[in-house]
Amino acid sequence: MCRGAPPPSVRDMQNPTAMITGASRGLGRALAAGLAREGYDLIIDARNAAALDAAADRIRGAGGNVTAIAGDVTDPAHRAALRQAAAAAGRLDLLVNNAGTLGASPLPALADYPPEELRAAFEVNVIAPVALTQLMLPLLRESGGAVLNITSDAAVEAYAGWGGYGAAKAALEQASNVLAAEEPVLRVWWADPGDLRTDMHQLAFPGEDISDRPEPESVVPAFVRLVTQRLPSGRYRAAHLMPVTP
Amino acid sequence: MIADVAPADVALAGFTLPPELEAHEPPEARGLPRDGVRMLVSRTSSGEISHHGFRDLPGLLLPGDLLVVNTTATLPAQVRAGQLAVHFSSPRPDGSWLVELRRVTGKTSVPNGLGFPGQRLSLPGGAVLTLEGKATARLWRARLSVAVVPYLLRHGRPIRYSYVPRDWALPAYQTVFSRVPGSAEMPSAARPFTPSVVTDLVAGGVLIAPLTLHAGVSSLEADEDPYPEPYDVPPATAALVNHVRAHGGRVIAAGTTVVRALETAALGQPGGRVTAAAGWTSHVVTPETGVRAVDGLLTGLHEPRSSHLRMLAAFAGPELLSRCYQAAIDAGYLWHEFGDVHLLLP
Repeated sequence: MCRGAPPPSVRDMQNPTAMITGASRGLGRALAAGLAREGYDLIIDARNAAALDAAADRIRGAGGNVTAIAGDVTDPAHRAALRQAAAAAGRLDLLVNNAGTLGASPLPALADYPPEELRAAFEVNVIAPVALTQLMLPLLRESGGAVLNITSDAAVEAYAGWGGYGAAKAALEQASNVLAAEEPVLRVWWADPGDLRTDMHQLAFPGEDISDRPEPESVVPAFVRLVTQRLPSGRYRAAHLMPVTP
Repeated sequence: MIADVAPADVALAGFTLPPELEAHEPPEARGLPRDGVRMLVSRTSSGEISHHGFRDLPGLLLPGDLLVVNTTATLPAQVRAGQLAVHFSSPRPDGSWLVELRRVTGKTSVPNGLGFPGQRLSLPGGAVLTLEGKATARLWRARLSVAVVPYLLRHGRPIRYSYVPRDWALPAYQTVFSRVPGSAEMPSAARPFTPSVVTDLVAGGVLIAPLTLHAGVSSLEADEDPYPEPYDVPPATAALVNHVRAHGGRVIAAGTTVVRALETAALGQPGGRVTAAAGWTSHVVTPETGVRAVDGLLTGLHEPRSSHLRMLAAFAGPELLSRCYQAAIDAGYLWHEFGDVHLLLP
């Protein structure tokens, strides 16, 4: 007989588990806190161990259950450690590939883009999330889980200077699109959070005042809706998912 | 084995399907519209049996009833390589699939009883299927060298058994609700739905909500339980099921796959409440498990001693179900995926 998932009555005694990369600051940290409030146990990572621990402590302080593993998503050994943490948790319901890099800053035109910087942008924004997803697929399939890839309007619009980041995010979007076709049991979302007041956004506009951009916390309800309502696989914009408040 | 069938089921389990009652082609090929098939209606409360056309459905349901439909789409799940036919049944969490190896004979195929662990089979388009081990007497765990769903969409053809003498194009195997490719065989209860019938239902105040369950190859061998199947009951659907039942409405499943998914989502919940759930289900609905979350069922006419009949008996009881099948045989209803349907109401 086929080794199926344990019966839901058993599974439901355990909280769902979400893995979020790049969760020490910005959108990743806000999403982690939001998913913890929804009852998810978390596995989070970031390169900066101190900042990651601070983010984890804040979530624990609010009653959340967090496993924090510092490391770089482009490092196969780190990805293997994340896989082990998920196996130890016994289930994985959601993988949020949030960790990303802007690439060279200030943003160069493609004419001047250093190829090694371009390669690095693709390593972080495309290869790493696809490789991490590969490792998590068996657990995600077992739970009928979901993959959420954070993307950008720079993947579909032609903004001067955003050629490196935008091309990498476009690649991530198409990888998501194909993954959805290949994995009928999963939800695969690729979602554009919109411009946010984050360190990455500041890097794109060095020296400029970006305080008119909304805080990353502001879009969390949109992502919570996407995740908890298990919307169909596809591309989403956070602005279109904001819940109606009666 | 007949000995495993509860005594009250024996009359039902033992019926013989006259060959002339097999539907050999889609109703459209018999000059009927999709929604032109016949519908036997039975009511558990009164034991009443009546004869209708499928287009009577909107008048048989009530405002506030909820019809739950399966959005799975049928894959062209059969791949042929010379005399070999491979039926792709169900994905497994580790990325392997359950497959059945069959031998092409004339216009159809039969199980070939061959294969050994580690065997590599060359399939069209340069794909290689590696047999990993036996999962059941008939099914292998196997791994394809490329992603299965896109491969099947390119190289496969719909699974067909001997009672259907020729191939039909894939659209003949989709329902109006089909959206997510993943089933080895059509969830055929919903095949008669047309946009017109759906519009009449909506205008009549009947609610409709989706879920997904990808059906594996049917259990053509008697007394064989279905395999674990991937399913997904979305939160909005679970909430609607609970809302409707809390207000006295009835939840009607369009197909046995919908019953399996909803009953799985109600396991361990008090009062048959449904929670959003996804994953693989091994739950088999029988008279012993009962039905807890579903009140009525629209389904096809099933073969003797199939696991589906045990599910139907959980709704109607063996006595009424036996009378239904006698009535369907007497009135010349047609069996199988292109045949007529049966609506079991409370």
